Amino acid sequence: MVLTKFVEVGRVVKINYGPQEGRLATIVEILNDKRVLIDGPTTGVQRQVIPIRRLTLTKFNLKGATRGARTGVITKAIKKSDPFAQYAQTLAAKKVAKKVLRAKLNDFDRFRVMILRKRRSALLSTQLKTLKKSTGGKAQAQAKGGNKKK
Amino acid sequence: MPAKKRTVRIGNWYKSDDEKVHFIRKRKAPRPSKLRKIVPGQVLILLSGRFQGKRVVFLKQLKSGLLLVTGPFKINGVPLKRVNSAYVIPTSTKVDVTGVNATQIDDDYFKRTQAQRRKNEQGFWAKRGELTAEQQATEKTRLEGKRNTQKSVDAALITAIKKTQLLKQYLGARFTIGKTTRPHELVF
Repeated sequence: MVLTKFVEVGRVVKINYGPQEGRLATIVEILNDKRVLIDGPTTGVQRQVIPIRRLTLTKFNLKGATRGARTGVITKAIKKSDPFAQYAQTLAAKKVAKKVLRAKLNDFDRFRVMILRKRRSALLSTQLKTLKKSTGGKAQAQAKGGNKKK
Repeated sequence: MPAKKRTVRIGNWYKSDDEKVHFIRKRKAPRPSKLRKIVPGQVLILLSGRFQGKRVVFLKQLKSGLLLVTGPFKINGVPLKRVNSAYVIPTSTKVDVTGVNATQIDDDYFKRTQAQRRKNEQGFWAKRGELTAEQQATEKTRLEGKRNTQKSVDAALITAIKKTQLLKQYLGARFTIGKTTRPHELVF
């Protein structure tokens, strides 16, 4: 298996343990085989030394990050090409965002979601039925319908 | 140092052991409990009683401390009702109650009448609970009055509720807990 994600200067990482859990940062310097210096000025991560064990490597790199770069340099590089925004487009990030949104729903929101889900499944089932009828009932109907919701 | 003056008077009546003293309520007037951030128009979830789980609209706090709520009656069958704030979950959903006039409703509105208590004035042999014709008539007018008050209070509420989509259905549904719901994690 070819390794593609490396611990290197500029690698965007996600902190998966500790008080900063869930936040993104960039690797600024590698100290030894177990610790790195990370910094995330736009994501609220203070410049700090952290064990690699607490990180998850993402496939994104911050272009323009040099070894030992100071926070100002990192911020400038992020302004030029924002890898954190790219990360937010990934499926994993979207799943996390969905979870966060769902936790915030209030009682009325939860009721609305329930009603909309019921409506969507009703629409899907009617679509499926008509498709089955029209294709003689054998086809694997991919019914698409309803509106996207939370 | 002068001897301490005795300030407690010792009487010559000592209570016997078998004399039971009933609890005497020192505070005659009820003290209204402090509302924990419940605002008129807020939707509350009732937690006990016949209407448990029902979502109702909060109108105001009465002098006794109880909360005055209404279904509205047409939507979920909950009438103008007094409710203890301890048995209520306030949600963050609010209804516009600027057109609702509930100022004339107070604790006396909910007081039980003689006829309700089925006081029998006809004598020993009359059936218990039976009302005289006069009592029945007054009961009828009293209930009519209650129905009208309910309607007048609810009218403005229902028009406000209809403005939000699905709010009417929301108030008509009961709050339930399933197998996977974690009440301590729910945001209301």
